[in-house]
Amino acid sequence: MLKTPLHLPYPTLTRRRLLTIGAGSALVAVTGLRPAEAVLKLDVTQGNVQPMPIALPDFAGGTGPDSDVARNVTGIITNNLRRSGLFAPIDPAAYIERISNPDVAPKFPDWRAINAQALVTGRVTRQGDGRLRAEFRLWDVFAGQQQAGQQYFTTPDNWRRIGHIISDAIYERLTGEKGYFDSRIVFVDESGPKDRRVKRLAIMDQDGANVRYLTRGEDLVLTPRFSPSTQEITYMSFGQGDPRVYLLNIETNQREIVGNFPGMTFSPRFSPDGQRVIMSLQQGSNSNLFTMDLRSRNTTRLTQSPAIDTAPSYSPDGTRICFESDRGGSQQIYVMPSTGGNAQRISFGEGSYSTPVWSPRGDAIAFTKQGGGKFAIGIMRTDGSGERILTEGFHNEGPTFAPNGRVIMFFRDGGGGPSLFSVDITGRNEQRIPTPSFASDPAWSPLLS
Amino acid sequence: MAHASALLWAVLTFSANPLQSAQSDSVPVDIISTTEFTQMTQGSKTAKKQDTPKPLVDKQGEKKPAPDPVQKVTEKKEIEATKSEPTPPTEQPENKPEPKPEPPKPQPKAEAKPEPKKPEPKTDPIAEALKKDDSKKKDEQKQAEAKPVPIPQKKPEPPKPQPKFDPSKISALLDKRDPQRHAATGETINRTASLGVPTGSAATLSQSDIDALRAQIQACWNPPPGALEARELIVDVRLQLNRDGSVSSEPQVMNRGNHPQFQVAAEAARRAIRRCAPYKMPIAKYDLWSDVEVRFDPREMYRG
Repeated sequence: MLKTPLHLPYPTLTRRRLLTIGAGSALVAVTGLRPAEAVLKLDVTQGNVQPMPIALPDFAGGTGPDSDVARNVTGIITNNLRRSGLFAPIDPAAYIERISNPDVAPKFPDWRAINAQALVTGRVTRQGDGRLRAEFRLWDVFAGQQQAGQQYFTTPDNWRRIGHIISDAIYERLTGEKGYFDSRIVFVDESGPKDRRVKRLAIMDQDGANVRYLTRGEDLVLTPRFSPSTQEITYMSFGQGDPRVYLLNIETNQREIVGNFPGMTFSPRFSPDGQRVIMSLQQGSNSNLFTMDLRSRNTTRLTQSPAIDTAPSYSPDGTRICFESDRGGSQQIYVMPSTGGNAQRISFGEGSYSTPVWSPRGDAIAFTKQGGGKFAIGIMRTDGSGERILTEGFHNEGPTFAPNGRVIMFFRDGGGGPSLFSVDITGRNEQRIPTPSFASDPAWSPLLS
Repeated sequence: MAHASALLWAVLTFSANPLQSAQSDSVPVDIISTTEFTQMTQGSKTAKKQDTPKPLVDKQGEKKPAPDPVQKVTEKKEIEATKSEPTPPTEQPENKPEPKPEPPKPQPKAEAKPEPKKPEPKTDPIAEALKKDDSKKKDEQKQAEAKPVPIPQKKPEPPKPQPKFDPSKISALLDKRDPQRHAATGETINRTASLGVPTGSAATLSQSDIDALRAQIQACWNPPPGALEARELIVDVRLQLNRDGSVSSEPQVMNRGNHPQFQVAAEAARRAIRRCAPYKMPIAKYDLWSDVEVRFDPREMYRG
């Protein structure tokens, strides 16, 4: 997929402008010598936490099916931004100006009148070689300026991803954080009656579209996790006999066994460089953490405790790991160097903590917390401070971070069967993720592009 | 640029000299804020009137009735009997004569009139400059005498006859006139019999004024969704406002940040200011809200 920046012709710096700027700065310097004039000072500490109103008129398109694609791309962007909870797309019925040519600056007063803070215009056309060309511009309505502009070339069947990529570009420009829309979720799809539940590994786009099954359901599958390359998944499967850790290539559907270990293995997860897998290995009544180099297949033991150490997760820089352990008497979260060594307990609240996951941003650890008959999903800083519960309920479990660390997906079982939910790290925007049937144990991929 | 820098250097060197001379004088100086200054110059009801009030009166007098003075001049000596006249300016002259008859009439009259004479010439130019601020001038009104005297018609007539004056008697006259003034003008503003200078203004922004402005800005502020590093996203923006509450120039971001989201936070702050204009603020206090520095601090919203 090709990507090039899109610019509007903007006034360049002429000599006259430079002189004006120079004179202006000299004037500032002169007036700066005077005592400052009285200025009314004001602290604004409570803003409007409402989502930002944004206008997304349908992209201009060619004829027939191409115009449908243009409209569908607009729909994808609109849905993505709305579901993020940070944007409020304005009803197209309110639009005053009709955008026909996205290369011309819009009539900003028309968009201010409907209180749009941002405006996205664009166009999808078909190239001579059959490829799609999609372009968009993001406008700051109140400043009357273009904030971003890009164009992309791709094959027609990629139109959905185009929508996600443009969504990410808009999200990043308006929030200052990387987007997460061009990403996938792998999860365990559960169907059939409760006593004979069929569990299949499935993968879908982050918005629930394009569901695809990776296993057929003969074996019990658990804890799928993405590799940093987004091309491979590691998971655990109960086939005949002991559970084993597998590697699965999602493009070729080829799978291989990571290793044969005596006893049970749990919770495999990739290292950030994709070179190793970290997991826990059960021996008798305790379990310890091990890493395995995927090339040499050498294993290294990281913990030597008589307690149960499990659910390890790497920090994004790969230098540390967090894991859960009951060495202190109850399940708590610990952090230690990724090469082993002294582990420090970071969770001290009431109840027990489990399934810690390090944020891709590196600044937080998400966890499941149990206590008082409730399961909560929360986050805390990596030193254990600033604990914040995001959602609470009868059964919440298995948090996984979006690629930008701003959204957490987890699964909730209200009694009938599990389904997937996402919540933003402020705890404000909780949403159900549509799946074909029951779903559990989600794992979010890194950004695809 | 070379010119600009040369100009800047010249200004710097020039400005250094006056500073030094000021130091040699070694005059004790107190630093006060604008609000303190306006309040200091406002004066108070209980203040005693002295020379300074006269100029103020003159200014106000110019604005008001032009025809009245004519009557005064002519009537003054005769008027004693004609107290019943309805118009305020005419009443004042009447009052003057009243006290006069008891003591030697000619002396007090003469005394009172010279006061207006002096201020009159001064007041004309000042009044012209200050015509714009009608409300402020009204506040300052203190003495009835000056008002009738207005510029155009009869400045020369009243001053000529009466050269001298006793301050104690004048003050007595003034005290009587104040209540009359009130009745005549019907303006509550006149309640304050204050001493002050023409630039004195009692205007201060009340807390509710400030809260109103804050509320207007807050309503339009969509802070960026930075949850964990809110202290990195504090933005100071300075803006100039027009009298109608609109933003007169591009809001300037006064601080800088290294956080990747800072630019977005700054844009959100500036957008908030633009979105909510024009602001509804008391025009009388325009000088106090013409220049505003707003700190957008999202920490409370994101719990630190």
